[in-house]
This record gives sequence, structure tokens and C-alpha cells, in this order.
Amino acid sequence: MATTEAQWMLSVGLIEKDVNGDTLWVWCYPSVGSDLRQVLLRKCCLTQDSRHFGTFVFGQFSRTWYYISTAEVQEPTALAKVTHFSVVVTSKDFNPEKYAALSRILCRMYIKHGSPVEMMEAYITVLTKGVCPSDENGPFLIKDYDVRKAYLTGSVKDVVSQFGMEAIILYTALMLKKRIVVHHPRIEALLEFTRALPALVWHRKDWSILHPYVHLAEPELQDLKTCPGYVAGFVDPEVSNRPDLFDVFVSLPDGVITVSQSAKDAMAMGKLHKDIGHAIVRSAEDAEGSDSRLIKDISTKTKEVLATLAALASECEDSKVTLEALKRRHFPPATENFLFHLAAAEQLLRI
Amino acid sequence: MMEEVDRILIHALRQVGTEVDEDVDSIRQFTSELLVEGVVRCIRVIDPGLGGGLAPSLPPGMSARFRVGMSLAQACQDVGYKGEIGYQTFLYSSEPEIRSLLMFLVEKLPRESAEASAQPSGKSAVLQRAIAAAIRAQLDLAWVPPNCSLPLHCETQSGGVLNSFYTQPLSSPHCTKGSEENLKEVKEYRRDVLPPVTAQFSSSASMVASLLEQHAAELSAAQEWDGEWKSQGLLSRLTPQEYRSRKLARLQKRIQEQLRSAAQPSSESAFGVSRPASDLMDVLQSFRASAPTEHVLKKGTHFTHTQKFTFTQEAAAAAAVTPILSAQESSGDVQLRQQEELSALQAQFQQLCSDVDHLAADMRRTAVTHAQVLDELKQRELGNTEKEEKLQVKKKTIDLLPEADNNVIQLQSLVEASAKRVVNLASQWEKRRAPLIDEHRRLKEICSRQDLDSSRKLSEIKSLHEKIHVSTEEAKKKEETYKQLLTELESLPQDASRSAYTQRILEIVSNIKKQKEEITKILSDTRELQKEINSLTGKLDRTFAVTDELVFKDAKKDESVRKSYKYLAALHENCNQLIQTIEDTGTILREIRDLEEQIETENGNKTVANLERILDDFKAIRQENAALAAKVKEG
Repeated sequence: MATTEAQWMLSVGLIEKDVNGDTLWVWCYPSVGSDLRQVLLRKCCLTQDSRHFGTFVFGQFSRTWYYISTAEVQEPTALAKVTHFSVVVTSKDFNPEKYAALSRILCRMYIKHGSPVEMMEAYITVLTKGVCPSDENGPFLIKDYDVRKAYLTGSVKDVVSQFGMEAIILYTALMLKKRIVVHHPRIEALLEFTRALPALVWHRKDWSILHPYVHLAEPELQDLKTCPGYVAGFVDPEVSNRPDLFDVFVSLPDGVITVSQSAKDAMAMGKLHKDIGHAIVRSAEDAEGSDSRLIKDISTKTKEVLATLAALASECEDSKVTLEALKRRHFPPATENFLFHLAAAEQLLRI
Repeated sequence: MMEEVDRILIHALRQVGTEVDEDVDSIRQFTSELLVEGVVRCIRVIDPGLGGGLAPSLPPGMSARFRVGMSLAQACQDVGYKGEIGYQTFLYSSEPEIRSLLMFLVEKLPRESAEASAQPSGKSAVLQRAIAAAIRAQLDLAWVPPNCSLPLHCETQSGGVLNSFYTQPLSSPHCTKGSEENLKEVKEYRRDVLPPVTAQFSSSASMVASLLEQHAAELSAAQEWDGEWKSQGLLSRLTPQEYRSRKLARLQKRIQEQLRSAAQPSSESAFGVSRPASDLMDVLQSFRASAPTEHVLKKGTHFTHTQKFTFTQEAAAAAAVTPILSAQESSGDVQLRQQEELSALQAQFQQLCSDVDHLAADMRRTAVTHAQVLDELKQRELGNTEKEEKLQVKKKTIDLLPEADNNVIQLQSLVEASAKRVVNLASQWEKRRAPLIDEHRRLKEICSRQDLDSSRKLSEIKSLHEKIHVSTEEAKKKEETYKQLLTELESLPQDASRSAYTQRILEIVSNIKKQKEEITKILSDTRELQKEINSLTGKLDRTFAVTDELVFKDAKKDESVRKSYKYLAALHENCNQLIQTIEDTGTILREIRDLEEQIETENGNKTVANLERILDDFKAIRQENAALAAKVKEG
């Protein structure tokens, strides 16, 4: 198992900021496309003029996950002209903790040796053996990092406690595969918040909808637009003026969730939502309950809804729901609307 | 001497604006009126605030004259005149008094040189000043409608020569810029077809305006470009063409952004697309609204259109119906039919509405299903690629399965070997890469240093530009000053009174020197005389003492000698008395001369006459007052 997971790693790269203030893509193995390279240069925060460098960021670009660790060169080493550098690991899988640990080890190696050869050696041992020796806390073992753990790391509880009843909007949007845009000026807060959202629709276990760190740059937006529904994080406040990008806009600093005009129809809510919302809030208020408990509760609720839909589907021919069948059940209009859209999202609608 | 002083005073008075007749060439010829005017004008120049309230002419009434005189005297004291002054100074003044007053005032006049340097200079400046003065004078005149204008308005406000400022675009070979310059056709067009500028106007009235406008536009454009290029263009390190094209691109981008941001808020609403268009229509409508009203009327409003439309329709319907129906049908039938028609149409309309609703719902549903299909398609595609990859791996695994253990070992060794090879290759690559990166950084550093250098030089160039600008300005100003001074010099009277004055002054100085020499000669003569007198007196004293002694000795013996001694004593005493008397006479004569001089000066002041005159004035004022009082009583 370890080897298959390790094979999800795609490349390792190195970006350096030198004393001239230039940020250069200096090295990579085996290769990184020029599009992705541009994106990574933008993400690695060395290109920004601010003195504040996020130590670890991650994100997704055209189904490739990237993990960037940035370090400052302080004590004199072989890297005479380098002030900061970033190690970039790209991979097919979502697992920030795993790649944070790995890239940090690679960073330390680079500082120590001043040459990417040792770094590459470590990368290859991880790729072939799933193990890598490390100075601290024992060796790095790829099997220590389960993907379920990564999914559960984000705190849904925090999300619910921050927005209360309004969390149901996020839930509905995710259920219906709508486009959610989150804004916060600090990248750390953005990463923390956005990665928790896909856990609201645990039954899909689909983290590929997550784009935690997007810039308002054309290639990235194009990539975003190919996805039917997503959770995208932006640090640029300008994103609030781009209604073409979102159905639901979350302003984290203000704690405000806005539903765009075009999505209001599909997102109309009724008693069903109220019930689910209350259940979520109640579960989150339980001080004893953990995040996984909350996720399980939400998941149960989701399953109930889906069961209704499945029951409906089984009545119809070839197990697909039709609007007529829905209408025969005489649900309240909001519920009917929701179920109809949900059926589409779950691909249960007859075409 | 005094004529000279008088001439200077009169010249100064003329300069401040007093009208002194040509034949007046000394203070003695001054009348009271002239004196009053001169003094008032001087005071106006010295202190405009003080002089503003003073009248330059003498009124006829005695008391009014008195008041004017008193206020003038007060004004003179205010500007600092220390001498004796009263109203009589102006009315019955003596020559020396007037002279001393005028000398004081003329000295108080501000220097002309200061005035001259404050004004702009050069021939053009002189012309401009003249123009400005003329315009100011014209502006001072109140505007009057043309038909009540006076002769003095004719030249400035006559309606005949006035034209409205209407400009037309001009085309001339030198003002067009850009790539078209080099085109052969353009050149030919200019040479053969383009009419001269003066022939390009529909009416001659707009020619001057158009030329002025064109010139001003070109000038301001050139200046603006110059300023911008020197302040920002140089720093951008681009050629002028590049700079222009970049600015153009920037502006276009900005316009695009503006348009997008303006269009966005409305796109959220239901009328997303139609709103901006309707806004545009509004704008166009507002433009059209400003067009002449008759035009709109000709086009016809929406209302008239619909009216026409409905009328014609009804008429047509009636025409269609009449042949079928007989002529005796009543108006009630028509109404009934219309109602039926109306209800049928309404039903149709409702049907259409519900159709539209259905279709909209259908469309929504289709959109949802479409999204679903897309989603599914994507998922399937992804699943497929994943599965294909897996399939390949599995295929290879199956191929290797028969000798699993062996193959696993082989594979592992292969992996290890290639890992080693890759690492080896990487270290080799590193040997090449590191120096290259270092080289890159080194070059970059040099580049940035050069950048710094060049920007420093640029700023130097900029400051030089500024300096050049300032220097040219200064040079221009100095040139103008020089020219103006030259013209002023030319316009100055050739007899050069100044040099005459200097010559006179020099002459006077030499005269004084000569006089001084004479005085010293006389003084030394006097001193010699004094010396002689002293020595003679001493000699006499000594001779007398000797004689006295001899005679006194003999007088004891001889009676006749005694007598002669007595005579001697008497003689000596008399002589002493005589000398004393002569000295006294001299003193008295000197006193007499002093007194005579005093009398003369007093006579010059005409004090008695003045007093008499003042008394007369007093009487006249009293009479006037009495007359006024009588009038008041009568009234």
C-alpha cells in the first residue's frame, strides 16, 4: 500500500529568492510544466514583497496538489546568495500533513548540504521505499499519514461554531455541488477553514473540489471554471467583485455568508434544512463531542435524505428520479426543489 | 543757482502729473492754484491713502479755500514736513517757503528706478503693456446695447465686426504626425489637392478663430508632452514611441476595466444583459433630446405611432367585415364581437404565458440535468484514466507473475540501480547547474547595479533639464530687460538733463572750491594783519615805557620836561581811548549789519502783509458766515 501512495508524488522542485530580490525556479525533479511552474512561483510567497512568508502552503491546480514549504537562510551556509527558498512537492493526493513533514525534512537537508542532490536522494527513497531518514523525531514513514486523518484534520466544529445556523447554507451548497468562494486576507486561516468544508459532505469523500489558495490570475480561474462545484479560497478582496466565480461567497473576516442572485433559486431552503441545521448546531454545541462525532452526525442526516431519494429512485424505472415522481410525493416546494437539485448532484436524475 | 533748483523742481512736478505751463520756469511764477495742484499730486504719489482725499484745485469760497489750505498743511505735516506751514503758505506764500516745501516733497517722491524694474521689459512687453492698458480702458467702460451706444463705444462695442467664436478643424502638412508622414499618396494629396489654410473655411469669419484654436491646441499639446516626457517619460527608459504605445495600452485597459466594473452590478439582477444596453439607450436619448424639437415631432412619438396603428387596424378589420355583414347591423353587434375577440385574445395570451412558464421550468430542469451529465461525464473520464493506469500496472504485474519472487528481486535491484543512476546524474547536473545559477545571479547583480547607475544618471539628466529650463527662462527675461532698457534709452530725451545737472553740480563744486580758496587767503591776510597789529602794539608799549621812563627821570629836574611828560601821558590815554572807540565802532557796525540782514529776511517773509491778509480772510469768512446765518434765518 505504501508504495502505491508514494507513487502519487509527482515531482519535487526548488525556488530560491536571492540577494538581488529575484525569485528563481532553480531546480526540479523529474519535471514541472511551465503553466504549473508559473502558478507555483505565484504561490510560494517569495514573489510577494512582504516580509511575512507563510512557512507552509498548499493548493490544487488542474488536479495536481502542491505543497510548498518556505524557509529563511539565516546562518551562513553554502547558499551564499540565497535569502529564502521554497521546496515544492507536487502530488496526486491530498494530505497536507504528510507533505508538510516531508518538505520540511527536504528543507533542512537543503540548508545543511546546500545542494539539491541529497534532497533528491531523500525524495527517491520516499518514492521507492516509503521511508526517509530524518534528524528529528525518527525517520519519516509514509504509512504514518493516512488519508482519512488528513480528511479529519480540518475542524468542522469551528466552522459551525463560527457561523451557527448559517452553516446550513454551506452544507446545502456543498450538497448541491455549488461554487463556494471564501475570502480571508491571511492564507493560514484560509487553508484551515476551507479544508474542513468537504467534510460536510463526508459521503462523497471528494477533496478534489477543494482549491484552498487561488489567485485572480487567468490560468487559475480557467482551471477553476472547468470544475462544476468547488470550494475556493482567495486572499485578494477583489474576488467579492467577481460574481461570475461563485454561488456562495464567504467573507471570513466579517463572518458573512452571501448567496448570489443566480443561485438563490436552487438554494431555496425550507423546513428540511431547518431541521438539519438545528441538528448540526446541536451536535456542535456538545462540548464532549469530537469533530469526527459531528461529521458522523451530519453524515447520518445526509444519509437520511439520500435514503429518501434512493427510495424514490427505486420506484422509478432504471433507478433514476424524475421530477414527476418527485411531484407525486407532494413534498413542500422547498424540499422538492432541494431534492430535485440534489438528485442532479448525486446523478440520480433521469435524463 | 536758484534757477537750477527751480528747474529741477518743476521737472519733478511735471513728472508726477502737474500741468506746469511751458513759460513757467521759476518758483516765483507759481500761482496758488498751481502750487496746490503740485503739492496734492506729490502727496498722492508719496502716500496714495493720504492724497486720495485731497482736491487738486482751489474752490472759490474763502472758507472753503481755508479748509483746503488747512487740510493740505496737515497732510504735509503728516508726510513729515517740519517747517512752518499753514493755510496761508498756499494762498499767499513767499518764494523761499514754497521752495523749501517743494524741495521736501520732491525729495520724498519714490525713486523712479524702483518702479521701472518692477515692470516686465522688452519691446513686446511695451506693446503688451500698451495693449493691456487699452483693454483695461475699454473694460472700464460699461457695456451698453448697440442701439444706445455713444461714440466712444463705437470702436470696441459695435455689433458689426463681432463674430461668434466658431472653429473648424484644419489640415496642414506640418501638423500631422505619425507613420502617414512617409506615405507617397499623402504627400501627393498635400501637394496637389489640399487647399491652403485660408481656403479651408466655409465662412471667413471662422478663420481667425480656427487658426487661434489650432495654434493653442498644438502649443498646449507640445508643452504637455514636453512636461510629461521630462518628468515621467525619461524615467521609464523607453523611447518616445514605446512610451506612447504603452500609455495607449494602459489607457485602453483602464477603460475596459471601468466598463466592466460599471456593467457588473447590473448583471447580477434579472435584467443582466439588457440593463447596460438600456443605459446606453438612455444616454443616446438624452443626446437626442437636445436636438431641435421639430425633428422629434417629424419622427413621431411612440404614442402617435400606437394610435395610428390601432386606428388602421380597426379600419382594416371593419373593411374586412363589411362585405360579409349587411349594412343594417347595429353598433351593439360590433361591440359584442369586439368583446368576444378580446376574451379570445386574452385566453390566447394566458395560454402563451403558461407556455412560457412551462418552457422556463423545462429549461431550468434541462440546465440541471445538463450539469449532472457534465459532472458525470467528467467523473467517468477521470475514472477511466485512473482505471487505465491501474490496468496497465496490473497487466505488467500479471506478466511478471509467473516468476514472482525472481522478478520482484530483479525489479527491486532495477529500482535501486536506477535510483542510484538518477542520483548520480543529479550530482553531475548539479556540477553544471550551480555555476550557471551563480553566473546568472552575478550578471543580475551587475545588471541591477547598472540599472541603479542609469537611474542616477537619468535623475541627473532630469535636473539638468530643469536647470536648462530655468536658465533659458532667466536668459529670456534678461534679454527682455535688456531690450526694454534699450528702447527706453532710445526713447529718452537726447539733451540728457542728467549730464547737464552733473556738469552744473561739478561747476558749483569747483566754484565753491575757488571761493574756499579765496576765503582761506583772506583769513591768512587777516591773521597777518593781526600779527602786525600785535607787534606794533608791543612796539608802542615798549617805546612808551622807555619814553615814559626817560621823560619821568628828566621831569624831576626840568619843569618843561614835566609838562611834556604830562602831555605824553595825556597823549597815551587819548590814543588808548581812540583805539577803544574804533573797536567799539567796528562791533556796532557788525551788529548793525546783522540786524539789517534780519530785517531783510523778515521783509522777505512779508509777515505784516500776510497778517493783514489773514485778517482780511478772517473778515471775509466772518462775512460769509454772517451771510449764511442770515440765509439760514431767512430760510
